[in-house]
Amino acid sequence: MTITQSFPPEKLARVKELIARYPEGKEKSAILPILHLAQDHFGGWLSTETMDYVAELLNILPVEVYEVATFYSMYNLKPVGKYVFEVCQTGPCMINGCDEIIQYIKTTLNIAVGETTGDGMFTLKTVECLGACGYSPMMQLGKFFREHLTKEKVDSIIAECRKTAATNN
Amino acid sequence: MGRKLLLEKVSVEGIRGFDVYRREGGYKSVEKALKQMTPDQVTDEVKKSGLRGRGGAGFPTGMKWSFIAKPEGVPRHLVCNADESEPGTFKDRYLMEFLPHLLIEGLIVSSYALGSHVTYIYVRGEYAWVIDILDVAIQEAKTNGFLGNVILGTGFDLEIYTHRGAGAYICGEETALLESLEGKRGNPRIKPPFPAVKGAWDRPTVVNNVETLAAVVPIINIGAEEYAKIGIGKSTGTKLISACGNINKPGVYEIDMTISVEDFIYSDEWCGGIAKGKKLKACIPGGSSVPILPANLLLKTVKGEKRLMNYESLSDGGFPKGSMLGSGGFIVLDEDQCVVKHTLTLARFYRHESCGQCSPCREGTGWMEKILTNIEKGKGKMSDIDLLWDIQRKIEGNTICPLGDAAAWPVAAAIRHFRDEFEWHILNPEESQVRNYGLAHYADPLEPVVATV
Repeated sequence: MTITQSFPPEKLARVKELIARYPEGKEKSAILPILHLAQDHFGGWLSTETMDYVAELLNILPVEVYEVATFYSMYNLKPVGKYVFEVCQTGPCMINGCDEIIQYIKTTLNIAVGETTGDGMFTLKTVECLGACGYSPMMQLGKFFREHLTKEKVDSIIAECRKTAATNN
Repeated sequence: MGRKLLLEKVSVEGIRGFDVYRREGGYKSVEKALKQMTPDQVTDEVKKSGLRGRGGAGFPTGMKWSFIAKPEGVPRHLVCNADESEPGTFKDRYLMEFLPHLLIEGLIVSSYALGSHVTYIYVRGEYAWVIDILDVAIQEAKTNGFLGNVILGTGFDLEIYTHRGAGAYICGEETALLESLEGKRGNPRIKPPFPAVKGAWDRPTVVNNVETLAAVVPIINIGAEEYAKIGIGKSTGTKLISACGNINKPGVYEIDMTISVEDFIYSDEWCGGIAKGKKLKACIPGGSSVPILPANLLLKTVKGEKRLMNYESLSDGGFPKGSMLGSGGFIVLDEDQCVVKHTLTLARFYRHESCGQCSPCREGTGWMEKILTNIEKGKGKMSDIDLLWDIQRKIEGNTICPLGDAAAWPVAAAIRHFRDEFEWHILNPEESQVRNYGLAHYADPLEPVVATV
């Protein structure tokens, strides 16, 4: 497959910097941070082309990237919405009512877990413990955690996302 | 108020930044260790302090350090395990988020002791913003001469790098973490060889938890002897506990390990009691992997003594009648919680997180989740309980890494202590869908132990 994707110069500089953190000849060690960088840059998910590009950057076989990308739950292997709601459903969040929050998001956005809204704005995922047990129920949204969720908070997060998307367009 | 060694300054405004941290006495342990002590003296001090691994296993840190191989010409590494993922545990996140320089300081002193010139902090991928905080702190330390070449003119060189994970509980297991650091799937390695001999890139490596490495700072500052005076028995120093569930004040608390579980739950200094005036039903005191205990066995040991918040007391009675301090992830369940459903969420967690390398864990965790789902939905059979017991027995001890045990224990303990709740679910399939079993007898006073001799 011909690879047409490419990072802009500043991201390539970052790749170089990440690789330099590991011993010489062990460039592959930088694969996790570079896959994060690629996922953020190329639309929120890792296509085969993107993974092949990462393989090329690290001078390793594409299959070495696939086997890593498929192991870790933070890498999306199919397209996702602009905003991904990753709601924790493990014990401590369950105790504090995450089930109702998940149900509320499903109804409000009219999607099932794992689905994306028709306008490509929102994806709902359930995830396992994110380390915010004392501030549950919670979800990850992009780089940050949204904690102590209530139905009202979910509403305002959805509104906030729509607003940000409208401003950026 | 107990003595605070780690979180003492957490409320000082601006403590996240280098200047304030330094003004408040930060980086003194680096000056002391690098200028006045040899690496072996630092290791000896940690040994004498009695510090035990704060990630969950409780292995003596100084002893772990002394195992590191020192072959001529081969670099050694210290790797900080910040892959905090054990349900109920969020203490390392708190420490890194609010006191990043405390960790960096601990890393410098520990790297010096171990002879690591390149040290990594493996941070779980979801803590993305925490990594930014750490990267800033590393940069600040470097600008101020505490990292880089010839730290404080002592001739010791050190670089610290963060390494972002990508969502895998298993990478908290030290050999899986090393695989992940090397850019591979997080499949745990067979030990031996141990990381101290062949770790990252086959080099001698020590992997320690965030809180463990932060605790090295007060140990060097106040001295091992002073540190060991805090606490009780082999539970020396202070421990961070992350408390969650049905309590009034969830959060991260630093305790000296002499307080009772009862005080920890009910005192306003810590959890502030059960939320909404409800009654305590059960608790997992050390992260999801350790046995759940009903209220009566949690507060008192079978000998009728008050149970304390430390390694020995929490495990008093062994697995049949005790639990573990583990990672300090303290999960409290009130009288309205369903132990069957809670156990199901944990079984699902372990099924999701099993790396798939060993059959008993890969298959067994899935079976347990399916059976528990049936029971929870009112479609269980009485024979399911024995089947669950049988499966967990066959996982435990039969896997390369401890995830198998960690998946087995919560199910085992739930059945051991709450069997009647499981039976009630099965015998009352309709009723169990609309109400919970409740407190039942789980808070009743324990029967006095009759002396058999």
